[in-house]
Amino acid sequence: MIISSAKPFEEILEMLKNEDDIFVVGCNACAAKIHVGGEPEVLEMCKRLEDAGKHVVGWVIPSAACSVASFDSLVEKNPAIKDAKTILVMACGSGVSIVAGVVDVPVYPSNDTVSLGGRTQGEVVPELCAMCGECKIHYFGSVCPKSLCPKHLLNGPCGGSVNGKCEIDPEKDCAWELICNRLEKIGRLDLLDITWDAEETTEDSV
Amino acid sequence: MSRTFKDKLSSNDFLITAEVSPPKGTDLIDVLSDAELIRGWVDALNVTDNQKAIMRMSPLAVSKSLLDSGHEVIMQLTCRDRNRLALQSDLLGAYSMGIRNICIMTGDHTTKGDHPKARPVYDLDSVQLLKIVRKMQEGFDLAGNVIENPPQFVVGAVTNTDPSKKAQMMKLRKKVKTGINFMQTQAVYDISMFESFMESIGDIEVPIIAGVIPLRSANMARFMNGNIPGINVPDEIIERMESAEKPKDEGMDICAETIKELKKLCRGIHLMPIGKHNNTPTILEMADIRKKQ
Repeated sequence: MIISSAKPFEEILEMLKNEDDIFVVGCNACAAKIHVGGEPEVLEMCKRLEDAGKHVVGWVIPSAACSVASFDSLVEKNPAIKDAKTILVMACGSGVSIVAGVVDVPVYPSNDTVSLGGRTQGEVVPELCAMCGECKIHYFGSVCPKSLCPKHLLNGPCGGSVNGKCEIDPEKDCAWELICNRLEKIGRLDLLDITWDAEETTEDSV
Repeated sequence: MSRTFKDKLSSNDFLITAEVSPPKGTDLIDVLSDAELIRGWVDALNVTDNQKAIMRMSPLAVSKSLLDSGHEVIMQLTCRDRNRLALQSDLLGAYSMGIRNICIMTGDHTTKGDHPKARPVYDLDSVQLLKIVRKMQEGFDLAGNVIENPPQFVVGAVTNTDPSKKAQMMKLRKKVKTGINFMQTQAVYDISMFESFMESIGDIEVPIIAGVIPLRSANMARFMNGNIPGINVPDEIIERMESAEKPKDEGMDICAETIKELKKLCRGIHLMPIGKHNNTPTILEMADIRKKQ
């Protein structure tokens, strides 16, 4: 799922300071699951915008903001969108782009899109996949170094980790610590010996 | 003709390299005078590359200027600030300017430096870059295109020295496999750990050059223990620094003693003082390893 975080309301108001007649579009997929674009958040956003003196013309929550067929499909769900002079999308960046592609008014994001992650045991887990388009995650104990390691290191850890924590954030586990632990658990520490060369497209491989 | 760093690597000499930092500015006078302090005392000057992710003059420019002043240099090159095009093109440029020794490393993350919003590159990791250097020396760039008059560098890499860190030790072996000519380590204070480190890589023939940083205070030791990855100053050394009347002198004593021990264990040392090299000749004399040549 796409991990997003809600922008501070003050920042949203600042974005919308010259806008009015706002229509709010939520998202019943990722954003709803992590509580930044589901029905409770959309209703709360409408109320806060009204309290701040803005006119909200209506709202809608498509099953996924990143999968909207046409303007008519939104009108079908709530015709009030026809009166909108501005749209606020409570989804990830893809949702904002897709909605903007079917409307003729300015579209604003209420969230900051962070990474491709997931949710398990009640916790949101960011940065699980870098979407590189050539998945080799199984060689790394199904922990992706391209995503979890800030230096995207494929051949082992840098010298910067301290006590198993990441150089850039002492709260975060070093990706390579997680990879080693996982490979040990599944009895595949031998995979650590593979050297991953930099790949380049050459005439031979085209 | 005087012997090069390459000649010395293949001899039985105990090697001494010393770190010099490029200036934050355009005047080279400070770095040249720092280098002058240790002329004849060390075998090569190791020029850092935006060390700690703090923006400074290009190591290429500083290396060239040190070469022109008659010093032997090792140019550091990190994977942090350049993609594969820039790394390869800087390597060609370095060789054409007369730089013959390089030391490759990943590089501290941009968020640790003075431009924390800089986009970190890391297009390649250190192992990949080492392999590309090897390929360039064979006459081809990464994409397989022919390089005319290929460079022939003496190639170094870096490592931490805790043998219990499996993944780091595995990476060290990957670096060795790329055919490097020397391996430089993080600063060593814990001789018994370094001894186990050397034992654990006993099968490796690459010359190991151990890092040393003279201590200036007990606080500096504590700070490094808590903040510099791969450094472990043992308690007894911190206590010595704590109870010393002149901590800086004590730090030089400790450094000289460490160098004496390291001489029994590895092929050389790499001196990285905090600040300038004013005390470097004294430490080397105290360690009984070199007189001015």
